[in-house]
Amino acid sequence: MRILTTDVVVVGGGAAGCYAALELAKKNIDVTIVCKGLVGKSGASLFAGNLVLGGGLLGNTPEQARNTAEFLIKYHNQYLIDQNWAKRCGQWIESVYYPELEEAGLYFRRDNDGNVVTSPGKIRSVAANVQGNSGVPFMDLRRKQVIKAGIHRLEETIVTSLLRRDDGSVCGVFTVNCLTGEYAVVLARVVVLATGYSDRLHKRSTGTREMSGDGLAMAWRVGANLVNLEMQWWHTNDVAHPPTWQRMQIYPNPVLGSEHSARMVNSAGEEFFNQQIDDPLAFGPYTVQLKRLVEQVHAGKARYDGGYFAGFDHVEPREVDTYTTYGKPFYQLGLSPRQGPIETAVTAHYRQGGILVDTSNMRSSVPGLYVAGGVGGHSNGLIALVTFDGKCVADGIAMEIGALQPGELADDQVERERRRIESLLTADGDGPAPVQVKEKIRRVMWDKVGVEKNHIDLNSALEDLDRIRTSMLPNMRVKNCTRIANYEWVDAIDVCNMIDVAELIVHSSIERRESRGPFMRTDFPETDNENWLAANIMIKTDNGFRFERAPYDLPFFQPDFTRRNNMTVPW
Amino acid sequence: MNIPVDARSIGKIENADGLLARNSRLMPGDPIRVRVQRYDAGETGARYFEDFVVPYDTAMRVLDALNYIAENFATDLAYRWLCGTKMCGTCAVRMNGREVLACWEAVEPDMTIEPLRNLPVVRDLVVDRRPYEERVVSFEPWLERPSAYPGFPEPLSHRDIKDASKALDCISCMSCFSACPVIGLGNLTDFAGPAPLVQLAQTALDPRNNPAKVARALEHAGIFNCLSCYKCEEVCPAKIPIVTRVIEPLKAKTAELVPHAARHSLAFRAIVAARGRIDPSELVLRVQGPKVLLQVRRALRLLLRGKINPIRTIFRKRTAAAKAAARLLEKMRPAS
Repeated sequence: MRILTTDVVVVGGGAAGCYAALELAKKNIDVTIVCKGLVGKSGASLFAGNLVLGGGLLGNTPEQARNTAEFLIKYHNQYLIDQNWAKRCGQWIESVYYPELEEAGLYFRRDNDGNVVTSPGKIRSVAANVQGNSGVPFMDLRRKQVIKAGIHRLEETIVTSLLRRDDGSVCGVFTVNCLTGEYAVVLARVVVLATGYSDRLHKRSTGTREMSGDGLAMAWRVGANLVNLEMQWWHTNDVAHPPTWQRMQIYPNPVLGSEHSARMVNSAGEEFFNQQIDDPLAFGPYTVQLKRLVEQVHAGKARYDGGYFAGFDHVEPREVDTYTTYGKPFYQLGLSPRQGPIETAVTAHYRQGGILVDTSNMRSSVPGLYVAGGVGGHSNGLIALVTFDGKCVADGIAMEIGALQPGELADDQVERERRRIESLLTADGDGPAPVQVKEKIRRVMWDKVGVEKNHIDLNSALEDLDRIRTSMLPNMRVKNCTRIANYEWVDAIDVCNMIDVAELIVHSSIERRESRGPFMRTDFPETDNENWLAANIMIKTDNGFRFERAPYDLPFFQPDFTRRNNMTVPW
Repeated sequence: MNIPVDARSIGKIENADGLLARNSRLMPGDPIRVRVQRYDAGETGARYFEDFVVPYDTAMRVLDALNYIAENFATDLAYRWLCGTKMCGTCAVRMNGREVLACWEAVEPDMTIEPLRNLPVVRDLVVDRRPYEERVVSFEPWLERPSAYPGFPEPLSHRDIKDASKALDCISCMSCFSACPVIGLGNLTDFAGPAPLVQLAQTALDPRNNPAKVARALEHAGIFNCLSCYKCEEVCPAKIPIVTRVIEPLKAKTAELVPHAARHSLAFRAIVAARGRIDPSELVLRVQGPKVLLQVRRALRLLLRGKINPIRTIFRKRTAAAKAAARLLEKMRPAS
């Protein structure tokens, strides 16, 4: 087994992980990226459709700057965010982020006269090359920057567990290479988890194939505190068919260089949402859309898994095609966007919550374990925000690097983990294949931990998950024992993380006894700012877990009510 | 299909051909017969095909069929995919002999699925991306600014970067690398291949890049080995006009920045401009130079077969065609 040593292991190759690694390398700190997929190709960052303009960028007025901040705090996080962090982040985006990207070569789309093309309105955005596809050149650039910087990469390699020193601090990771089946240990002074927002725990999920809640599961196992896990965010108009396209969004935000945005239509042909008309301040109107959809579902004019439509039949195709890829699913089905909207469905998207971090240095509650990006629980997704995390974690580590000890090889932990992973490869029970257990978990989460939740369903989900854990997991059968590109084995490793994270999420959902934005409890329909404008912190204890509630400071933006039915709250 | 097709529209027309039909001729429940190539380097090393029947579902993609097989029949099927929406470029395979993105291509009633060509197979449909990656990295595909970055937003017009912008649509799925017949020749040429050249074009055709750096990369791109067969364009799921917007502009860049790497092409052009037609003996003389003396036997063979005609080469007549050719070529010369 290979034993590698480095100063910092970054787990994850998305926007946060890459930027953390680049910043650390700039500070002459030795860093290794371990990525379950391919750096820049896996993880949610790839999907970034456009880049939001904050502050005074590209002639933003003070009002537009304020709108962007308000949007982030209200619509994007339902006030469950450290507003001082958001402010620091906004300033950094304006002064560092955009120039850094452009200097490195990112092409912010221009017109033929040399103007950066923006979407007009209360909140503005730009695109890297093409709107809808910005994440592709963005992450490709990050990949190449990482290569240029000579940063060591272990790709298509799973981190299966965090290794700890005797004092409990994290000092390395145990890994399996998906293509060769080889084990390796990477020892480090500290570990940065940057595994992203999505967990792919629901039947319909965004994110890339390899995501399975690994970061949350591993952090919880070493005792890290988690926060707001219940705050699941949803895409409301992703393409309904085929399943492969479940993350293909009919983007609801303004079309670049146009005054238009997509419209949503119910099964009776009635339009029920169009961002530019219905809520111009909700730039990424996911929660607003979701609420309008819930009304349609209650009226019998849509289902969460389809039966309603979204598209651009009210817009000239040329307007859609000039700067965006928004027409691509239509064209690939042999249709023109003009011909009408296509069937859409709800998809579990990002999780606002995650690992609890100190946003001043990105430390988790466990020594040696740092966090960057979506797996942290301090904000909901935007590619700029997670990049800022990469900067913060690098700064946080640099501040302490002198006092941090090199990783120590914990032979017994390594041997225990090797045996656990090996036993999954040779699992020869008479039960289902790992991929079938995965689908079972996703089905339970979709049916009972979906858009509208209640106490009875959530408890029933716990029972189902427990049944899966006790009766299916021990009897899984891996058909082929090869070590080469054995995705069955990968699935078996994933399942163990997914079941843990699914349970944690259900417990957190039971705990938050209110409805807030995309978190909807039919048994607690009100948004309760009196009691629940608070972090829902999950703490591991000797015999399980307990919850703590920590209210948020509201220095810049405050909600204007104490309690109100969530469906009537605009955000 | 009797639509007149010129070379440049081959890919486009085939890609657009009957998409609606391809997406709607099957009804849910219809059987899809899938033959998948299996291969396990670790064991017997033999390649074989396995047959499956998958029920069609609305708008089904090749990847949906593979997922169905992996969930229901062959849980050990190895295939790579990440995003499912034509962004990550990791799921390209060959379906009935042509390169497709599994997440993007509609299923056909009878499908044979094989891994990409020109790359080592790891297992089943998973290929080793390294040969491609190494070529890309050897180009050092990043910007080197000849002068300081002026701050955001820098002066830049889409007109100046439009070819690089097309290349930026590349998702590095390697479909074109698999389809390229020159890459299929192995190490017979030093041609880098369409996919690595598209990656190179992202920065080489970017006006912000240092020409000296671009020249260094073009030096070992082997670009004039491209046959302009348009296979790459035909299979590109990102619909990048690879020949017209990547290879041709890169050839022009090579002629401009690294003329010694474009000797054959520049000589060809000069001869056509001077004579209004190509003259093989002059071409051989100009490209080979004195080395031609070492190949007398070959020259004689060419002479006997009428491939070269030294008399005509020496006593050339100025023709109207020469004037027209010179005028046209001058007009096409890229403004630089």
